Amino acid sequence: MKLRLTGFWLLLIIFQSQASDHWVFDSRSAVTGAATDRVYHHLDGPGRKHIAVTEQSVAAVWEDNSSQTPQIYVALQSLPSDSFTAALQVSNGGEAYEPSIDALSNNRFALAFEQDASVFVRILSTEGLGEPTRLSQQAASHVSITSFSDQVFASWRERDSGRWFLKVAALRIEASNRFIVESVQSVEADGLETPLLFPVIAVNAAGLCVAWEDRRAGHTRLLVSHSADMSKPFNAPQSLNEFYSDRNEYDKGNGVTRVSLASFGEDEILAAWMDKRRGGNGYGIFAALGADAGENFGPNEKVHGEEGDRQPHYNPATAGNQAGDFVIAWDDFRRADSDIWISTYSSDLEWSQDHAPSVASGSGEQSHPSIALDDQGNLHLLWIERSQQDSPSRLWYSLGRPQKP
Amino acid sequence: MLHSSLFRLPLACIVLLSLSVGTLLAAPPEGYRFLSLTEATQLASSENKPMLLYFGRYGCSTCRKMHAEVFNDASLNAKLNGAFVLAYVDTESGNRISLANGERITEMQFSSRSRIIGTPTFIFFSPEQKPLFKKAGFQTVAQMNQYGDYILEKHYQSMPLNEFIARQ
Repeated sequence: MKLRLTGFWLLLIIFQSQASDHWVFDSRSAVTGAATDRVYHHLDGPGRKHIAVTEQSVAAVWEDNSSQTPQIYVALQSLPSDSFTAALQVSNGGEAYEPSIDALSNNRFALAFEQDASVFVRILSTEGLGEPTRLSQQAASHVSITSFSDQVFASWRERDSGRWFLKVAALRIEASNRFIVESVQSVEADGLETPLLFPVIAVNAAGLCVAWEDRRAGHTRLLVSHSADMSKPFNAPQSLNEFYSDRNEYDKGNGVTRVSLASFGEDEILAAWMDKRRGGNGYGIFAALGADAGENFGPNEKVHGEEGDRQPHYNPATAGNQAGDFVIAWDDFRRADSDIWISTYSSDLEWSQDHAPSVASGSGEQSHPSIALDDQGNLHLLWIERSQQDSPSRLWYSLGRPQKP
Repeated sequence: MLHSSLFRLPLACIVLLSLSVGTLLAAPPEGYRFLSLTEATQLASSENKPMLLYFGRYGCSTCRKMHAEVFNDASLNAKLNGAFVLAYVDTESGNRISLANGERITEMQFSSRSRIIGTPTFIFFSPEQKPLFKKAGFQTVAQMNQYGDYILEKHYQSMPLNEFIARQ
């Protein structure tokens, strides 16, 4: 009887493993050198867009203080090589933070970053970095960049005359690999008295979608707005998170924060964020799928599985491809130390069991994932590793190959 | 589930400098001299005062309830404003703080790294800048006063907080 039970549990474990392992990950490769005393790497840009893939290369962008001040760096790995180039410094000011990246044609990448209270964009090609272009006119931060067939768009927040504006720019690529700003519009022309935080932008054939943290309601809500193209204004903002707690006279709503967007399929958008609707269990990871480039979002969906129901979760990242694949990664410390976790839709159109890739879990702190999906369904995973929470860090990368059914 | 990684960090390792493109995104109670963590850390160190570090969230209902029903108490106001250095961290803020070891992170990342799961969470530091205890969730006026007395009367040097409370 005991043997039978053991066999049952073994079968169950095998079944669960097969159900959750959508990708088999290669050995990790170092994006940066060994952890160095007092050097710290950060992947904290809006939407966690720190890795992008062309047919020839994968590129990772981050901030670290290896030059004494926080600056932005990028490194490339030629495919199918398994090593990254030495880091190129992207920023050149006093301090720079929170970069974003997307892939362009001809093995080029679009980069965006905050530098000295302005936001900039820059192109990385096989010839190196093009000249930077400043997007903002006033104090600005939280810049995100996205592209579709080399149509490039950036979003950021800008403060002008005491009001907060969510700006979106359409960018043209010059022959010299420099961005030219074609047009800029504010999602809401009048701006806001209250801050907006960490806007992120996504684009596909059906248009543009921006989502952000908004505080005008007296608590934080995630809002989303859509535009068919930059010649038209953005729609009036709609709520993305659909649950607001209402427990007592003081309760205006639970916390929601750090939304990430990714385009997938022909015209769909995946949104994922941290959501405190579970009360004392901290943030859960919730998501919504949007049609028509985010003009219409479906219901909110809980992403993490039952195992994570009583745990807090952090730092969600999204990825999608035109083949229709999509995936969410995040980190949590359900095993004491922080590990990277992944979920995607199962064949029954439900979020799969949480899966911790072995390359990005185990002893030490593995956190702050950023992900990209190529058109073959390969999952490119970038993350930070520290031996302890306040230890020096380094960046790792691994390629997840889709499992054949 | 309340991890205490913050307790592994001496106060001197917490914050030296904060940077911000934006304005103060926090919402501490009115009538209290809550400072940024940067300012509070420096002040507490220079004046050898105990510090109360308050992790809140914009729109947090329990925080609002405490502001209306606890922080409105005159005796608590006098005790905290008079004897403590007060610091506020917005657990969803993108404002940056700089640690003494050279790392700069946002208030949100500092909060998650400190394993702050819910708000409000209060961490009390001794005048020697040693983190003494953490309290999460709604606290009454009486409890807040007890915590203050435990530190100001230096009972932390001779007994744990639970023992002090049991003797009251």
